[in-house]
Amino acid sequence: MVSDAFAAVLRARRNEFNARFAEARRQNSGAEPVAFGAFLETTADVVVRAVDRVLPNCVPDVAAVAYEVGLQLVSHRLAGPGARHGALDEAWRRILPAAATLVAEAPRRVLPAMSNAAHHLAAAPGARVSAWIEALERLAPRCPDADTLLTLGQVAAWRAGLAHYRESALAAADTLPESLALSALDAVEGACWPTIRARLRAEPWFDPSRPVQEERSSDALSVAATVGAFRGFGGLFTEPPRVRAVGEWLYVQSGDEFWVLTADVFGATLHRVPVDAVASASLRLDLPPEVKVTRRGVEWRKRVLDTRAFGDPISVATTSTTLAVSCSASHHVILLPRPPIS
Amino acid sequence: MTRPGIFQRLSEAPTNPHTPVAAHTFDVADLYRGPVGGDTTSSDGARRPLDEKLRQAYFWIVNTAIISPHYDVEYNDQPPASFLVGDSQVRLTLPSAQSYSSFVLLPLLTFATRRKCLFVGGPGRGKTASAVLMGVLAGYPVRDVRRAMQHGHPQMTIADLLGNPLPADLVNAQRLDDIRISWRKWLSMRVKIVDEYNRIPTRTQSALLTVMGDNYAEVLDQIYECPESAWFLTANDEQGGGTYQVIEALRDRIDVVVQALAFNSRFLGDLLTRVEENIRPEEVVPREIVFDEAEVDRLQDEIVSVEFPLDVRRRLEFFASQFELCEVAAEQFEYKTKDTARLAGADWHTLVAQDTGRDRLKDPGAQTKNGLSVRALLTLLHYAKAMAYFRGNRVVDLEDVRQILPFVLHDKLVPDTDAPFFDAPGHGAFRTDRIGWLRRLFDASCAEYDRLDLDRDDPVGALAAEFRLGLDGLTEREVRLRLLKIERLVTENAKGRKLFGNLYDDLLSLKYLHQRYTNYLRWLKTR
Repeated sequence: MVSDAFAAVLRARRNEFNARFAEARRQNSGAEPVAFGAFLETTADVVVRAVDRVLPNCVPDVAAVAYEVGLQLVSHRLAGPGARHGALDEAWRRILPAAATLVAEAPRRVLPAMSNAAHHLAAAPGARVSAWIEALERLAPRCPDADTLLTLGQVAAWRAGLAHYRESALAAADTLPESLALSALDAVEGACWPTIRARLRAEPWFDPSRPVQEERSSDALSVAATVGAFRGFGGLFTEPPRVRAVGEWLYVQSGDEFWVLTADVFGATLHRVPVDAVASASLRLDLPPEVKVTRRGVEWRKRVLDTRAFGDPISVATTSTTLAVSCSASHHVILLPRPPIS
Repeated sequence: MTRPGIFQRLSEAPTNPHTPVAAHTFDVADLYRGPVGGDTTSSDGARRPLDEKLRQAYFWIVNTAIISPHYDVEYNDQPPASFLVGDSQVRLTLPSAQSYSSFVLLPLLTFATRRKCLFVGGPGRGKTASAVLMGVLAGYPVRDVRRAMQHGHPQMTIADLLGNPLPADLVNAQRLDDIRISWRKWLSMRVKIVDEYNRIPTRTQSALLTVMGDNYAEVLDQIYECPESAWFLTANDEQGGGTYQVIEALRDRIDVVVQALAFNSRFLGDLLTRVEENIRPEEVVPREIVFDEAEVDRLQDEIVSVEFPLDVRRRLEFFASQFELCEVAAEQFEYKTKDTARLAGADWHTLVAQDTGRDRLKDPGAQTKNGLSVRALLTLLHYAKAMAYFRGNRVVDLEDVRQILPFVLHDKLVPDTDAPFFDAPGHGAFRTDRIGWLRRLFDASCAEYDRLDLDRDDPVGALAAEFRLGLDGLTEREVRLRLLKIERLVTENAKGRKLFGNLYDDLLSLKYLHQRYTNYLRWLKTR
């Protein structure tokens, strides 16, 4: 059973809503009445109830938008009982009630935006959609308006693993109130945004949540991330990948396919690129003198990465901040932060 | 916000794809773009290219709103497949590039350029529905668009059209200035629709002409300035004149004419769907394809800035030069025009019967009763730019002109259906098919232009270009040389050649240049 407020809107616009459902059903067989009904009861209604508590006058508009957006999501099996993942339902049930006032004020912006963002995060291998939801649920009540909420969502998405948004998310964070920006990045207590921002900009492997005293150097190269997997296990690579660097971009090749690899302390993402884009680029195949490939693994500035568990190193590439290594017996790309000069 | 279902689906792929640019640019704003459409960022509208939005609107209308499976605006990027059908060997071509339905495209370009479009065709073919869609694209609620639509009828008065004086003011006013007018709401709208305009009485048509032509309304000395707007008029029986004959000036204000083509019976299933779903497309127009006032302003600016290259312009000039000449209309060279004969009320048949020695079958000028007005040419330039813009180009292509020209000149260039051209084998259909006739006329003009090799050998064009560089600093000797060149060219052109329209324009152009140099020479001498 849905709430009285939601039921009243559904009843008042019954013919229109039914016609829309019929259209959606004819267009997309995924629009199952049972699934959509369940979505309205268990997900959309949570949002409508929350809005009803804060701004009851906005319920009709919010309910209509929730119906429209929900119908699209259920039709594409992105929400509701038959969904491919539960991220969108969870985002609706946790973020939107926390931001009920903002949802009430701008439902046509907030509902689609949050749904799309949750879908992006859920679909990106390695991204932590639950961390994003948790951050927004926690911080949404501190947002004065929908613009701030949407900007917060962008910064939190970067924090949740979408490393390719690093530059633009940093710019977005500049527009947030300082305390909100620091909270979105889980910065240590007492930090100030200009300092954190400067380090984030210069050092992709800088973790703002880690106290300075824990940033100690070690004799071994520490693995920051391993990216990719065998396609048979749900990854992207059909054979052990090879890495190359073009300027500050890292490229990965597996078979005859290419990806650009973006990575930082928050996560790593792969983006398919046309072969032409890589073939025409000037590839930097030579390694800096301080990087050596040995029988034990890879040595960089006298620190060693033991790769014997992954097989022999078959490709190594560096940017100014990152070393990428791939090995003969692994479908991963190993990423290491550049060690300090000892 | 995009609503679900076929009536809200927009074309997602680039509707006229061009080579993509910028690899590896990641914008966190993309986070909010995805399977659910909507106002995901406040600046989305400002960032989206308007030509793409216009194309999306076009494809939404043809795929969803108006069942018009007629791709009569044909583009080809390689030779199209072509078939001859039936005993009369009718040609059917399958265009090899993205082609369009004029019934949807022309109104949309009219909307984008804020000009005036006339829908013609029998009753119940979607003319009014298309016009209403344009109103909705401008952001007006369907109800407002319908209420603001003016329905022509034989009893329509100026007050019905424009507004009434307030009764209290009529009683109390001491001066005309004191009478306030309750203006009709439609006058303030950016999309104006006049249904069945040829049923409006002549006197009221004159009031409509003032609004259409000069963009203001006048009642009892009170003036209402209308905003710039796109006009959509409908007529069931354009050629026959409707209840009242449309005054020529009003007809001349119409920029393009589009015909509602016949319904294709293979699409009855789509009609059935609409009946069963009880859906009116104009009520479910996606918000993403609705243009606000600022966007239409921007559209106009961007369309105007589309380049019209010289080689295309020359062909249009050559085409336009063919029609005005009427050798027997006057003694003085400048007045040898069809307009002179028309103003004098001369009998057309008597005029054309006078032999000028030209081959009336080959002379394009012999096919028309008039020439092209400045307004018609201005409209043609506007729509050609709009067409190029719509296709995602920033330079007008000859094909843009070729495709748009028949719709602009539909009512502007009047055919003389008694001309020998229409009696020639296979030309009979052009008596009723103005679009086909005009396109053929333009093709023939371009072929003649090629035959004369005017792209490479255009001495009049070269002299005009030389003149456009300016007169400053020209010596007397140089001016005399140029005058001599002009006179030689006139002599050469006049020698043993028939006077066709293009030659007439060239000679007048040479006379203009000659006069400008003569005046300059006179000034040099008096210094």
